[in-house]
Amino acid sequence: MSLTGMVAALIADDRTADWPARVPARLETVLASMPLPARAGVRAAARGLDAYAVARTGRKLAALTDAERESVLRGLGARPALQPLLDVLKVPVLLAAGTERMLQDGLPVPLLTRQDPPLDCTPVHAWPARSTADAVVIGSGAGGAMAARTLARAGLDVVVLEEGQHHSTESFGRRAPLDRFTDLYRDGGATVAVGRPPLLLPVGRAVGGTTVVNSGTCYRTPDHVLARWSKEFGFAPAEDFGRRLDEVERTLRVATQPLDVLGGNGRIALAGASALGWGAAPLRRNAPGCKGSCQCVVGCPTGAKQSVQLSVLPDACAAGARIVTGARVERVLVDADRPGGPRAAGVRVRREGGAVEILAPLVVVAAGALESPPLLRRSGLGRHPRLGHNLSVHPATSVAGRFAEPVTAWEGVLQSVGVEEHHGEGVLIEATATPPGMGSFVLPGLGRELRRELEGADRLATLGAMIADRPSGRVLGRDRTLLRYDVDDRDAGRLLRAVRAMGELLFAAGAEEVLTGIPGTPRVRGLAELDTLLAGTSVRQLHLSAYHPTGTVAAGTDAERFPADPTGRLRGVHGVLVADASVLPGCPEVNPQLSIMAAALAITQGQVER
Amino acid sequence: MSTAGTAGKGKCTGDDGNTPARGTLFTETMLGTLRLDDEDRTRQVRLDLRVSADRVMRLTGTTQARATGRVRIADWADDAGAEGELEISPLARRRIRYRIAFTADGRRLTLDGWKSVTPRRPVASMTVLPFTLYEDGAQVGTGTLRFPVATQLLPFLASFRFPRRENPDALLAPRWRGEPGRTEVWYTTVTDPATGGGLWLHHELVAPADGSEPYAHGWAAVFPKDGPVRHARFGPTRWTADQAGFSMDGVAVRPGHLSGSAEDDALRWELTERPLGEPLFTFPRWSWRRPLLPAAQMLPAANASYDGTFTHDDTTLTLTGAPGASARIYGHGNARRWSWLHADLGGGDVLEIVAAVSMRPGLRRLPPLVFLRLRHGGRTWPRRAERPAVGWAGAGRFRAAIDLPTWTVTGRAGLRRIRVEVTQPEERILALDYTDPDGAHAICRNSERADAHVLLERWWFGGWRTEAEWTLDGTAHAEVGTR
Repeated sequence: MSLTGMVAALIADDRTADWPARVPARLETVLASMPLPARAGVRAAARGLDAYAVARTGRKLAALTDAERESVLRGLGARPALQPLLDVLKVPVLLAAGTERMLQDGLPVPLLTRQDPPLDCTPVHAWPARSTADAVVIGSGAGGAMAARTLARAGLDVVVLEEGQHHSTESFGRRAPLDRFTDLYRDGGATVAVGRPPLLLPVGRAVGGTTVVNSGTCYRTPDHVLARWSKEFGFAPAEDFGRRLDEVERTLRVATQPLDVLGGNGRIALAGASALGWGAAPLRRNAPGCKGSCQCVVGCPTGAKQSVQLSVLPDACAAGARIVTGARVERVLVDADRPGGPRAAGVRVRREGGAVEILAPLVVVAAGALESPPLLRRSGLGRHPRLGHNLSVHPATSVAGRFAEPVTAWEGVLQSVGVEEHHGEGVLIEATATPPGMGSFVLPGLGRELRRELEGADRLATLGAMIADRPSGRVLGRDRTLLRYDVDDRDAGRLLRAVRAMGELLFAAGAEEVLTGIPGTPRVRGLAELDTLLAGTSVRQLHLSAYHPTGTVAAGTDAERFPADPTGRLRGVHGVLVADASVLPGCPEVNPQLSIMAAALAITQGQVER
Repeated sequence: MSTAGTAGKGKCTGDDGNTPARGTLFTETMLGTLRLDDEDRTRQVRLDLRVSADRVMRLTGTTQARATGRVRIADWADDAGAEGELEISPLARRRIRYRIAFTADGRRLTLDGWKSVTPRRPVASMTVLPFTLYEDGAQVGTGTLRFPVATQLLPFLASFRFPRRENPDALLAPRWRGEPGRTEVWYTTVTDPATGGGLWLHHELVAPADGSEPYAHGWAAVFPKDGPVRHARFGPTRWTADQAGFSMDGVAVRPGHLSGSAEDDALRWELTERPLGEPLFTFPRWSWRRPLLPAAQMLPAANASYDGTFTHDDTTLTLTGAPGASARIYGHGNARRWSWLHADLGGGDVLEIVAAVSMRPGLRRLPPLVFLRLRHGGRTWPRRAERPAVGWAGAGRFRAAIDLPTWTVTGRAGLRRIRVEVTQPEERILALDYTDPDGAHAICRNSERADAHVLLERWWFGGWRTEAEWTLDGTAHAEVGTR
């Protein structure tokens, strides 16, 4: 069914420009990468819009004039109950529209910072049906890459299994951001945690895992978090974490982002913080030589960002590790009759024309906090009652400020400045701009109003805030992940405080108005107005997304509470290590890449030194 | 020799929990293809394996097995000396893994693969074997073998055997548990291929029927090729239990080792024994485990080789790989009349015969019961030890004509018949007096340099054809006992 009518109505295609006409086709490709419920939802919404138009005018949206479409949309927009639904519908449309509008201006040709170091990648269809290794690492993200490097350097024959594909930096440069977006994210980026409110939780799927698509922000695990992990949970790696973090930082070449390519978004955040006297600084990032392409979330096109497939995995391959791409692990093979209890024997990978099996006495599970619990359940290793529980996700929301002068937020570093004034209260503000349409911020309005916002997007600066949450989520499912997350009451308050703090910061930086993202009152022109608005706002009215899922196969001393022992070995079976975000026992409260890598390093080193 | 008996509760190999009582043997043939990494074509592969495990294969557990066989790869390899191992675990680990090493074109290769069993596709997953070929640990090719169900399932199933696995050492342990009226014997006979002479070492425990002290005694004898038979007795002395075998004043029978002296060191021996064959139960196996017959005889190893020295009257025989055998008897005493033959037929083949008339009232009127076991080509014939003695309710029994200097045994079982003629020339005989636990005496005439002629025939479409024929000239070990 055609999406043309819906798109033309939402972005007010008045045929004054070429690009809106190409948006429906682009939207089709976006939908194709999304899971079935999301696809069906968008198509149902398009049908609903058409039905409404037929009811009001006797014709479908595509057959209406511009003015008639506006009138139809005004009728819809007047119903507050429909606002959240329309906002959800706008997300994929804005994604497609933003891309087409950017392509209109021409795709900048990125300059390679450096050549990609070589990787030993084999597609799964070229891998033998039967093979053996000393260790199999499931997942090539932050945890898996570090585990693979540590084990390979210890002399083990390591095979890394990655469900996604390998994408080179050059391939990023050749393709439009949105094309990469649909390839690099699981479910086309439309992973949703069911709850009140629902959360969008994008996770990467490629060689390098989510590190390919994260913002490159590298926070060391805060001391108070480490102290809690160590004392409260007995998480053994936390005791010598500083040394591991140092090693990870050296590997990733972490440094404070220089100001030269920081971009308007970051400068506004610094100016606002300075005016308020808040502590703020350019973030420490793993992107030496960053050119400010602002495309971190769809794979750095210059190779500056040291995602693990450019930094850790090449070291692992140099030490003999091999990567199998397109390999979704069906199950961990377990020998149930071994003396001393069940023992992992290898893995089975689904493949057309017969499964691939790799036998190895050591299996490192690093499929990420959302995929590791279902994998363990599929393998018959999911009997621990707390497996899949304890999910922390860093719920986040964003706010935009409109400035008199162009900000052009997409020229500069994507995530540039951290404002830690409220970090003690669990709120971390990060100035985050994205390629048009890809951010979590949803522009307000429908039809012409939305089109005006799109055309004036260069004057917006966006801030995001993530909060340290209580582990109130669960990962369900065996074959497919099903997420359940309800924002805790305490965290709801934190989110509203975060919106206020971001508004305050933007006004202090000189914003004319702040786009709140709250459907009923999308714009406020002063702090007092914002306070009034927030006093009557529930967290369910915010557009929430979430990042950094952790803790679903947590490690700790209490055998009843933690599915993994303090050193990261899965309880109830020999030979299974958990070395990804799922093993962290609690919310890391900062962007967790360094924490995950340091934990994976500690866990696998502990295994090697046994 | 001696025969008669009923006796104590001995422990047979296999009951002790350490050595599984039975193993598993089967053969399997698989066909398939192989693609070498540096070629763009596939080659036909055929794998014929003979698989043996030390235990009965358990479908619910994991069985480790050895495999030998032949690997054929079209235009490349034909190695009949392939060997490797199997991990058979269709349910516990859902995996049947094959690791077979073979030589192709001078390259040493290893085939490593496994069937991955799943209940969703039971037949396909139990018959398809994807594998990877390695050379020095590096992959050189991949392929798939399939078990052809249509043509190979019946041969495969029919090939299953569960042979007993015995620990020959455990069979040396004394059976006697303190009952009066028992006799137990450890005896060894050897032929020295260098001189053509024969040796006989006889160690005996007697527990008199009147309940008096049990005593140990025995003798050693040498049968030189040129010269008279020389023998000497040792003991009797008080019996002291030895869990490993037999021991008394300087004479010992231990697993793999025989030593002792007799007649003030006039005869001295120091021999090591290396079992070459599986145990051979001349009498039905149950009669050794549960001594219901008057006596039973068996060989812990059907044949063995001996190294060491045997000195008699300043002449020393040095044995190197000398063929022979050790045997065991446990029972109530000697038979009324008996004959015995141990013939090493070469190539691992052995013929063991005991023909005896019991002392029991009633039984003594019967003709000799013949227990004949021919181990030929790895198989023992007749398959059941009862067959020659009482087959077809006695009508099809084997017949023995016990006499001297020549005695014969003839018989037919299944499609085979045998005729054995043993000659013990007077000058090669040693006659000794045996004493039963009840004090009765018997005379035995023994020769470790007897002659024997064995004719084995097989029936084939209307006629008997000679299957094998052996003539032993002075290397058979035989004995005839009378009262």
